[in-house]
Amino acid sequence: MNQRIRHLTAVLLLLFGALFVSLTNWQVRQQNVLRADGRNNRTTLRDFDSPRGRILTADNKVIADTVPVDRAAHPNDKFDWQRTYPFGELYAHLTGHYTFGFGSSHAEKEFDDVLAGRTAQQQLEATGSLFEKVDTSGTVHLTVNSELQEAAKAALKGREGSAVVLDPRTGAVLAMYSNPSYDPNRVASHDGGAVLGYLNELNADEGKPLLANAWQERYMPGSTFKIVTTTVGLETGAMNDLSVFENSRSWTPPDTKKPIRNYGKKVCGGDLAEVFRRSCNIPFAQTAVTVGPSLFVNGVNKFGFDEQLPFDLPGAAWSTFGGTAAEFDDSLALLAIHGFGQGEVQVVPLHLAMIAGAVANGGAMRAPFVVTDTRSARGTVISATQPRTWKTPMAPATAATLRRLMIGVVENGTATCCLRLANGVQAAAKTGTAQLNPEGQRQRSHAWITAFAPAGEGQVPRAVVAVMLKGVNDEISTGTGGRLAGPVAKTLLDTAMRVVPD
Amino acid sequence: MIDGTIADGRRRAELGMVLLAGVITSGAYVLASLGRNASIPAGIAVFLMFVLGLLVLAHVAVRMLARGADPMILPMAAFLHGLGWVMVARLSARWGGLQATWSLIGVGAFVATLFVVRRVGDLRRHKYTALALGIGLLLLPMVPGIGFSSGGARIWVSIGPVNFQPGEFAKILLAVFFAAYLDERRHLIVESERRIGPVTLPEPRHLAPVLVAWGMSVVIMVGQRDLGSSLMFFTLFVVLLWLATEKTGYLVVGLGLFAAGAVAAYNVFGHVQTRVSIWLDPWPVYETKGYQNIQALFGLANGGMTGTGLGLGSPQMVPAAHNDFIFASIGEELGLMGAAAVLAAFVLLVGAGMRTALRTTKDFEKLLAAGLTTILGVQAFIIVGGVLRVVPLTGVTLPFMSYGGSSLVANYVLLALLVRISDSTARELREVPVREGRR
Repeated sequence: MNQRIRHLTAVLLLLFGALFVSLTNWQVRQQNVLRADGRNNRTTLRDFDSPRGRILTADNKVIADTVPVDRAAHPNDKFDWQRTYPFGELYAHLTGHYTFGFGSSHAEKEFDDVLAGRTAQQQLEATGSLFEKVDTSGTVHLTVNSELQEAAKAALKGREGSAVVLDPRTGAVLAMYSNPSYDPNRVASHDGGAVLGYLNELNADEGKPLLANAWQERYMPGSTFKIVTTTVGLETGAMNDLSVFENSRSWTPPDTKKPIRNYGKKVCGGDLAEVFRRSCNIPFAQTAVTVGPSLFVNGVNKFGFDEQLPFDLPGAAWSTFGGTAAEFDDSLALLAIHGFGQGEVQVVPLHLAMIAGAVANGGAMRAPFVVTDTRSARGTVISATQPRTWKTPMAPATAATLRRLMIGVVENGTATCCLRLANGVQAAAKTGTAQLNPEGQRQRSHAWITAFAPAGEGQVPRAVVAVMLKGVNDEISTGTGGRLAGPVAKTLLDTAMRVVPD
Repeated sequence: MIDGTIADGRRRAELGMVLLAGVITSGAYVLASLGRNASIPAGIAVFLMFVLGLLVLAHVAVRMLARGADPMILPMAAFLHGLGWVMVARLSARWGGLQATWSLIGVGAFVATLFVVRRVGDLRRHKYTALALGIGLLLLPMVPGIGFSSGGARIWVSIGPVNFQPGEFAKILLAVFFAAYLDERRHLIVESERRIGPVTLPEPRHLAPVLVAWGMSVVIMVGQRDLGSSLMFFTLFVVLLWLATEKTGYLVVGLGLFAAGAVAAYNVFGHVQTRVSIWLDPWPVYETKGYQNIQALFGLANGGMTGTGLGLGSPQMVPAAHNDFIFASIGEELGLMGAAAVLAAFVLLVGAGMRTALRTTKDFEKLLAAGLTTILGVQAFIIVGGVLRVVPLTGVTLPFMSYGGSSLVANYVLLALLVRISDSTARELREVPVREGRR
């Protein structure tokens, strides 16, 4: 009988072995599949049942917070905590949103682990206090200054477009606001039906409010691109301080019969300083052709064109020069047009601020970032951003020349109207008016400006701005970059000079 | 008495492991409370004393009444019982409180069984009483007025304020009857065999018990819609018959009968078809009948390797998380490690039971120990396998872990019988000092 009992034992052991194999299958092998299943809301449920960390500005304004659900107002709410964004749409394109059924975005998405308290360090700190329930949620600290951010929104006056303010020395985003924006509170609501309705409304909006046009979209840059063309011209020797361009009304580049004209069909020419501050088109078209497709594309790429911007929030766009060296070999006319920022060239507003920032910073373009650091509930720094140089598109001497040229734009050029800063602070700028439609059609143009300050002799610029107003109506399209975007840049630089330390 | 006798060594080992089970239970209780309420439970001192009191009571009872017994049996049960209780209490304070009462009664039943049943062999004399009682208890839920259904299966009886599942006790009584019956008749059965065509079968009158067993499982399956118990009883009977006769033919015939019964049940009963289709693919019916099974899998995945931590998961999302699906709750909050520890404890318990069956020289005790251990192991396999989708889900309790008084008390009685058999073998083998072991 014992032999049979041993067999029976073996069979029972095999059965338990099968259980163990199956258990491992579900808990380990298929774990991720089961966790990712849309019907499995355990992780979200757990996160929604606990407070989530705050997101704060550099001056410690709480811009994303978790508050207990108001039971009186929402008796049927199935969660205890509600995510709120006290400033509504002001920071929507930086914090993003955190929702129960509709995903999350921007900082809420990128720093989810920290905010929910899931990083290894936070878990480790929690185990240290085994005998009390600790709130492990961490905080995310942004580089943004609330006064500048509010100034950016106010100065845009509801017009479609965006305003970016960077510290050119580090790449820190001091302000970045895009119109149209949206109210993340309405997306984070626990009322699924209302959220769905709002999201449908946002998705139907032609202005794409869910996309931050300051860093997730790109637009024709117009004459602001001449900073790039001038850099490439100076670096390749096709231009120098003493270059003189003859006065002309139009110029027909090789490979085409269509002539290139200056803005407003004016006669335009002179030395480099003059053609830059008056923003003639022909000299820059000629420079691009002189440099030639291969070297010119090479120089443009040194600015990081056709590469995703190295931003610390997910989903940043990239600028494009709109063609390869081989394509421009076939059509030098196209290269000429691209040389003054028309045609297929497209620039992300944030990237324009980085380009002018490189000029302000002596040639080194810093990688932009919006998160200073993340901290655990105890205040220990979990991760901190180290400023780094992304590209070095120009030598210091070239940067110095461009700075002088950009000061000329403010002193006696396209931005003279609008960039006399408070307290006599010297600004440097370049304007742009990007003509979207061919001549003869109804005119639509984006108004651009990029500027930095203080730009006086021996001063270290501590703020660079890029402002873009989208050419969606006649009001914008009949104006120029200097007149429309200039006042926005002035407000921001004036504010920045007050709030940004040396 | 000199130290170092085999029996004393066993009791020291048992005490150590029982205390460890107590420490694990108390620790888990504190962690569950911290996880849920962020506070040390108010009645922790009372709880600790209650748990340790129960464990020490059981241990002292073994020391006094069965000091030669296998040291593995009680600690494994104590570990499973403690962990299950913590999980039940974590899911609902009310059930946890009720389970405390049942724990006391369960351990009381353990001690009482050890006290009353001094020689397992005596039970043979009561085999027909056991049979009658067992069948009576099995059929009790079908008596109008006192029997009632819960969760689809009519396995409950309500007398006055007390609700219980008589089937849990019937399994022990029927194991006793079959062990005794087969011990007595096994030679007759084997000798009366004759060949009918290709198969060798005993005389019909000796085959009667198999048919009774088969009939009983059919009755349970049809009358009470309790597939799990049905499978368990049938396995018990066929296994015992096979062990007693040492004829593999019975195993084949038994399996054939079961297969026939299963196929018939599948074709006749809609709920059997439903169970099977959910087992094969629960995903299309997630919203309805597959919900419980799939939520259990979600919970297990949520737990992963190390679990969410006690009190920090969402096991309550699985219907019957404290009962049939307690294994999924353990897997979610304690992870693969915790759930594997539970499986290991069952394996060790089954191992200890089978070791008891192997060591004893008396056939009746061999059959009874193997039978009781089989019940325990198969019952655990049926429900854990159901949760893990190894087999179709059939609702039975997980021994010692699930919430429920009948199950806990019955399993402690079962445990006491195993301890008793183990002890009497030890005495026979003179592993217990004679002076101390007099009785």
